[in-house]
Amino acid sequence: MIDYKHLVQDDRIHASLYTDPAIFDEEIERVFHRGWVFVGHASEIPSPGDYVTRTVGTEPVIMVRAGDGQISVLVNRCRHRGTMVCPADRGHARTLTCPYHGWTYDLRGDLLGVPYPGGYTAFDKSANGLPRAPRVSQYRGFVFASLAADGISLAEHLGPASRLIDRSCDLSPEGLIELTAGWVRHRCAANWKMLPENDSDGYHLGFVHMALFRTIRTQYQRVVGDERSIKAVVRDWGHGHIEIDWSPGYEGLFEWLGNACGSTVERFVAEIEQRDGPEVARRRFREGPAHALIFPNLFLGETNIAIVQPVSVEECVHWHTPMFWKGVPEWNGRLLRMAEAGMGPASFLMPDDLIIAGRNQLGLHARTSPWLLLGRGLNRETVDADGRIVSHVTDETTNRGFFHHLRAVMTDA
Amino acid sequence: MRSEADHRAVADFLYLEARLADEARYAEWLELWTDDGVYWVPATTDPDADPERHLSHIYDNRARIETRVKLLQTGVRRSQEPASQMRRLVSNIEVEAAADGELVAGSNFILAELAVQARRELHWWAGRVIHRLRRVDGRLRMSRKTVVLVNAAEPLPNLAFLI
Repeated sequence: MIDYKHLVQDDRIHASLYTDPAIFDEEIERVFHRGWVFVGHASEIPSPGDYVTRTVGTEPVIMVRAGDGQISVLVNRCRHRGTMVCPADRGHARTLTCPYHGWTYDLRGDLLGVPYPGGYTAFDKSANGLPRAPRVSQYRGFVFASLAADGISLAEHLGPASRLIDRSCDLSPEGLIELTAGWVRHRCAANWKMLPENDSDGYHLGFVHMALFRTIRTQYQRVVGDERSIKAVVRDWGHGHIEIDWSPGYEGLFEWLGNACGSTVERFVAEIEQRDGPEVARRRFREGPAHALIFPNLFLGETNIAIVQPVSVEECVHWHTPMFWKGVPEWNGRLLRMAEAGMGPASFLMPDDLIIAGRNQLGLHARTSPWLLLGRGLNRETVDADGRIVSHVTDETTNRGFFHHLRAVMTDA
Repeated sequence: MRSEADHRAVADFLYLEARLADEARYAEWLELWTDDGVYWVPATTDPDADPERHLSHIYDNRARIETRVKLLQTGVRRSQEPASQMRRLVSNIEVEAAADGELVAGSNFILAELAVQARRELHWWAGRVIHRLRRVDGRLRMSRKTVVLVNAAEPLPNLAFLI
């Protein structure tokens, strides 16, 4: 019996959380298979028959749109002999047919037929469909699934953190994002938790990304100055949802977009002003999209969407794609170039993050001092009017929010 | 039309470029580019990939090629600190002359990379490269380099070195 209350304390956590295969297995079961997990976005499968393949935890799944428009998350495993039905990353199909013995399923996963049915007596097709996630739910096109039949609703899981998704989507004149550029996947030789922790860590930038700061000016320049001059904050939204908010440090509009200007910006501003009025529009353009982790695996990475995929206790994959705003396609080229600059194996940021994660993983095998310190900022964090814990951007409020929720998930009855 | 001399010159160029990249000789590698160079590593092997619509691993214009090199030259690019030990083989070279007078060179490569920055793993990379080469002041320069990895669409480890 693993004692998570001992391993996750208020101001420190134990290294075995990153290195113990038994803990990994329990996390897959409790966090990824019972809880709500981000699978993909509705815009990736716009037409009936469109599908993408993903994982929910370590479970291979197919996210597919049926003829009635409904999205299902099906386990990518033939009921007969276990063959993976759809090996491709994406595709379009009228039915899902297993290549081994020709068992054929419809787009909801129901078994349509098996060849040579005379070999079975009283065969119940309805009991032999592709296993499906019993609960699939969307919020603004973000598709989440739970492999558990019962549990809290997606709305309860997201709680007020749905506002983080709103913040990103509301920059689209149509209120919708589109993920149509394809994904890049980046292998990381570290435990999966390093990714959400690092994605929401405001303390490392000046050190891990020192090369970038020495080379070009970026919007993140403001967080490598004097500690007292930094205005950006971190927030713990509850339920493991955690955020870096750079916007208190932004003065002008579009600083998060490389100070974009020109006619493309003018049309963008005009569209959002018409919808929201000038004051709200200006706020949206000053603040920019969210930089936040929706527990456990969706990273709203400003102008990117990222997925955290656990593989094994010491291996994970970081997926990313640029977030296109529906209604202003003239931004797509710039958003592509920003995605390539920031995220992925050849970018200017993430390779440095992931190599440090790899070094963390190596260092954590040293057991003479097995505790990791997680107390930074406990002396100065505050609770705001909405009940969120807020602190200086370099504080470990985000790590604590993540781990304290993880502890709750791992110890719930 | 292309001549045997062109073929020889292209092969010499490709071998030099490979060695400079292998040996982390960043400034000399940068010298091999024209001022309008484009460096593209698509994230798919689909020949219809369009970098204006699809995400790439790398789609650098000249300014971004320079940024990429400058990062490496800081000595604190964590993902290449220290630089990977690398050697690549370049083979199957085919050269054609383009209508604009540039040479188009296709080649295959296999690259052994010892990623010494963390787990010290040997990574194998392979793919097809298309170089567009232009004579500038009598010397060949790259105006475009496209690297299609055989595993372009798979999860990749760090690719922070010069591929």
